[in-house]
Amino acid sequence: MMETLRTIVSILSVLAVPAFMLFFLVYGAFRKVKVYEVAVEGAKEGFQIAVRIIPYLVLMLVSIAIFRASGAMDVFIAMFSPITDALGIPGESLPMAIMRPLSGSGSLGVMAEIMKTHGPDSMVGILVSTLYGSTETTFYVLAVYFGSVGIRNTRHALPTGLLADFIAFIAAVVFVTLLMGG
Amino acid sequence: MLNHIWLALIVIGILTAAGRDIHDAVQNSYGNGIPWRSYSVELDSVATAGSVLSVSLRVPAEEIDAHFPGVEASEALFTSRIMMQSSREGSAALRIDASSPERFRTMAKALGNEDEIMARIRRLDDGWELRFENVSLVYLKSVTNAAFEIAGTAVSIAIGLIGIMAMWLGVMRVAEQAGLITRLAGLVRPLTRRIFPDVPQDHPAIGSMIMNISANMLGLGNAATPFGLKAMEELNKLNSKSGVATDAMVTFLALNTSCVTLIPATAIAVRAAAGSADPAIIIGTSFLASLTATICAVVLSKLLSRVRMFRWDRSEAT
Repeated sequence: MMETLRTIVSILSVLAVPAFMLFFLVYGAFRKVKVYEVAVEGAKEGFQIAVRIIPYLVLMLVSIAIFRASGAMDVFIAMFSPITDALGIPGESLPMAIMRPLSGSGSLGVMAEIMKTHGPDSMVGILVSTLYGSTETTFYVLAVYFGSVGIRNTRHALPTGLLADFIAFIAAVVFVTLLMGG
Repeated sequence: MLNHIWLALIVIGILTAAGRDIHDAVQNSYGNGIPWRSYSVELDSVATAGSVLSVSLRVPAEEIDAHFPGVEASEALFTSRIMMQSSREGSAALRIDASSPERFRTMAKALGNEDEIMARIRRLDDGWELRFENVSLVYLKSVTNAAFEIAGTAVSIAIGLIGIMAMWLGVMRVAEQAGLITRLAGLVRPLTRRIFPDVPQDHPAIGSMIMNISANMLGLGNAATPFGLKAMEELNKLNSKSGVATDAMVTFLALNTSCVTLIPATAIAVRAAAGSADPAIIIGTSFLASLTATICAVVLSKLLSRVRMFRWDRSEAT
């Protein structure tokens, strides 16, 4: 049962892009859309959007890079570890929880590092990969998405995103403990 | 809120770096000015004026203990290129790699070349004396370098998006003109009506958002971003205050940062590369964790929009 599910999932992930494309374009052709001409028209937008993002992305990533390079993460980990210890959360996963919303490549590195030390099939290994798989890099998404339309006042977007990341962390701990049997 | 956090990251970063550098200077964490004693039997026998050699230099544990306070010391070996100016003196380049002690790797990076540390070398009665350049302001230097480096990287990321954006937005435009997106939007209307009450249900924004979320669920990050940015553009057409995020935008962003994941493709790939017996085991846990987070995120985005400092009617257009 689990095995078939896994096969379906892996086939699906390969097929998704070609299937999306084929379906959209063939459907368009059936509806008498001049596919190439229309596609070029749509593609032109891509350029402007990508260029509009640049200032937002640069400033956001610079601030995160300064934070990471200073080693301030260690201070944060030391600050939070009494809380996580009290809740019975493995302390090794804390760097991941803090890094995940800040930096995609950074958290990828943390995940690989933890798996190397503790093994991918250890409790902590499964926990950090679940965490990586179930949330996005909040600060990056915020900069790119809002940057693309020139939004500077992001209102409650950041607190919502960070709280959701925190909930994802707790949920990952709970489900991994329940399903993997502690 | 974002203003404060953005500034806090920079201020905390720079102050932490400065604090650590002061601490290192006070403790002399890198043993500046104290010569090292090392040993190499090969070098003892073959060093003559003008010779260029590749030898192994051994630095005993008590030397490391004397130079690096607070580090658990064990003997270190360095593959080194030696150039002798006379039979007693010369210069050495110590190779640094992932197996070298951490403090040496930090030193190498601070001195400008992370693969090598240069030193002056001098024959002693017993062994060889090494003198490195002084190491200081390690963290402030790395903060500066990181800032310059990432500023360039950010532009490359944005430029890299152009191609992928063009491709998917082209395909998407065809689907739009064919009326396909509207039909897809019709299928999930009961859901979108509740999540995005202030967006007209036949608006193109709905179609783009659905495409973005489906791509995210399938782990197609490359396709998700173009659809998502297109959705933001459509949502912004409904925005009456330029530069201010609407409720719908924040909810959409919340859906995106915590998106329900069916296939966490990258995490599975990293697990497989790390030699996991069952890389895909996290599919179930990721799905449940992201589902929980997504539901909470949508609810939170609605609740927080009523908090005084975030309220729409109190936010001014820029």
